[in-house]
Amino acid sequence: MKFKNLAGASAIALTAVIALSSCAATTPTATPTPTAAAVVIDPTLKGIITAGGSSAQSNAQTAWTAAFVAQAAGVTINYDKSQGSGGGVTNWLAGSYDFAGSDSALSADNQTKSQANCGAGGALNLPTYLSGVAIVYNLPGVDLKLSSATLAKIFTLQITTWNDPAIAADNAGATLPATPITAVTRSDGSGTTANFTSYLSQVQPTIFTQTVGSKWPVAGTSGQQGGSGVVNTVKAGVGAIGYADHSSIGTLTAAAVQVGTSKDFVAYSPDGATNAFDIAAVAAPTTAGDLTKKIDYTKITDKASYAIPLLSYQILCTTFKDPAQAKLAKAYIGFIGSDIGQKVAAKNAGSAPIPASILADIQKSLALVK
Amino acid sequence: MSTNKTVSRPNAGLSANTTTAAPHTTGSRSPQGAGPARVKITSRPADRVFFGLSIGSAGLIIVILAAVALFLIIQAVPAITANWRTNANLSQGPTSGYADFWAYVGPLMWGTLWASAIALVIGAPIAIGIALFISHYAPRRVAGVLGYLIDLLAAVPSIVFGLWGIIVIRPLLLPLSAWLNHNLGWIPIFGGTASTTGSTILAGAVVLAVMILPIISSISREIFLQTPRLNEEAALALGATKWEMITLAVLPYARSGVVSATLLGLGRALGETMAIALIISPSIQVSWRILTEGENSQTIAANIALNFQVADGLQRQALIGTGLMLFVISLGVNMIARVIVVRTGPQATRKPKRKRVEPAASAATPASTAGVGRVDVSISDHHEGAQS
Repeated sequence: MKFKNLAGASAIALTAVIALSSCAATTPTATPTPTAAAVVIDPTLKGIITAGGSSAQSNAQTAWTAAFVAQAAGVTINYDKSQGSGGGVTNWLAGSYDFAGSDSALSADNQTKSQANCGAGGALNLPTYLSGVAIVYNLPGVDLKLSSATLAKIFTLQITTWNDPAIAADNAGATLPATPITAVTRSDGSGTTANFTSYLSQVQPTIFTQTVGSKWPVAGTSGQQGGSGVVNTVKAGVGAIGYADHSSIGTLTAAAVQVGTSKDFVAYSPDGATNAFDIAAVAAPTTAGDLTKKIDYTKITDKASYAIPLLSYQILCTTFKDPAQAKLAKAYIGFIGSDIGQKVAAKNAGSAPIPASILADIQKSLALVK
Repeated sequence: MSTNKTVSRPNAGLSANTTTAAPHTTGSRSPQGAGPARVKITSRPADRVFFGLSIGSAGLIIVILAAVALFLIIQAVPAITANWRTNANLSQGPTSGYADFWAYVGPLMWGTLWASAIALVIGAPIAIGIALFISHYAPRRVAGVLGYLIDLLAAVPSIVFGLWGIIVIRPLLLPLSAWLNHNLGWIPIFGGTASTTGSTILAGAVVLAVMILPIISSISREIFLQTPRLNEEAALALGATKWEMITLAVLPYARSGVVSATLLGLGRALGETMAIALIISPSIQVSWRILTEGENSQTIAANIALNFQVADGLQRQALIGTGLMLFVISLGVNMIARVIVVRTGPQATRKPKRKRVEPAASAATPASTAGVGRVDVSISDHHEGAQS
């Protein structure tokens, strides 16, 4: 594996993880474009990391685990994706996980609850997985472009046929059939739904008036289980349109989505998602070192950005009960939040890299963890 | 049940022979050679161990059932009693938008019963037809193979049925549902906007029907085989055709057994999770429609499977509360099954009659011996089945 050489090269002087974290923390001031220092994994680490949560992260977690264990053979990492974000947080709050993967940051309520296990410092939300919500559709022969208003109207069932004037206006010159539109959504609770509904309600608050959350709020759509369920159903039904994490759409084509109020329609690209995150992420820390980001979708107006980024977190205590577990978790999440870690995920799970400045912040925050 | 059993004399003699070598046998048993008087034997260690094991197994079932019920109740009560509008946790996520627990679980209970009912309407007649064919029409060799294949159907995992439903049944039913919607749309259940993806409660129910086939058909088959040979022959002797013989002799005899087989199938359908979760596009509402995309009633089990992962705190407990309701429904179905079996079951009056008749039948018609033998075996089977 490529990263092995990279990591090995920079491993000469540094062995201790704590030393690394402080190194990473100083990097941004040293260089104008901060590149999170190559994180070196201490090969003498031993132990078991138990974690779980977000299934959106599962491919990335598998890649991270493989890459990490290749360096530190004494470490076993068990990431249980069957729990989903909610289950991951519940188990983590109960003290059975070292960290939780979650598509949303801890609620204020859960942040308070976490102090029972994490001490007064509470918990840190570290954004480590970035992708995009892709709008997939099945309409042979059409290269679909959608404005945010049209998108909101389609998913609230206000536009019901493909030859609707609003869609025609977005796709000048395209021949649109009179096929009815089947809006395909998630029937299970999902972080993708949470991201997509908050996008719709922020960008088109007058059209999308429903509740934002992990449960799809509009009755009458075709609800399918899992991102793969949405993808399969769209694939099978002509006239269907759905949303899914871009890394899971397979051979389907995704629509180009309008950015902001401009006339620009941008298709998903990892760089586009990274750009969008860079522009739109607003820090909303809940405790010292916390990196909770509220994404302000209305700020995404630049045509180098993709309109609907999808963000997922690792959540861990500021103070672990067992310092040995703290060391392990810091090493692993430090690796995830490094340039190499992000490249591993991009290559194996198709995710978008987290901006370098945030990676530097992650290393800073990890330095606070004991 | 008692450890001291009275047995007839030959057996007592046998046990006496063996127990002489076992000095630890206690002496409440009658002296040996006490003539024709009935002999009481006491248990030996092996008896006591076996008795302990079997009563332990029986007791364990009750303990497990009670533990499950207790778990469901303890977990569900906070969510059932909470105010769903003001509670910070329950007013978000999968449980948002409901006034209270009952507003949430009501449509789900309807959906569970509705999906299962459609599956029964489709599946039960086919299952009974298969059972009749195997027991009365098919040549013995074909019957054996067919029976084996049907039983094999029960071993297919439900996730496989779910995938089969998505990939095969959904597109297969599309033309039918379009036709029904177009021509019979004035009937409420076929109304609404027809689905274009096939993700309907009809598709789910068809797959459910296939899943309950093996249960209904294998129990019904055993019951049909129990029909007294003499009844059948009498009907034929009176000039009945094969079909008339079945309606006169077989079906009335088997009625209660078939009803309980059907209700066992219903129990399977009520709890089915993965296939439903994968196939149906659900919506939590009370809806009769079976051909639409967005108006399919959701079932309890599928709803738990779909939302448990994102639910936390009270939301999880609300889902467990819906599980408690499913437990109650299943219990209710089983109790109804028992009541029907007891009320309409002819067994209590027929059994002694048949026992008197059978030896005569086998003696009179040697050709039917094998059939009678089968009957003997299946009597006990049937009773275990009916009482479970």
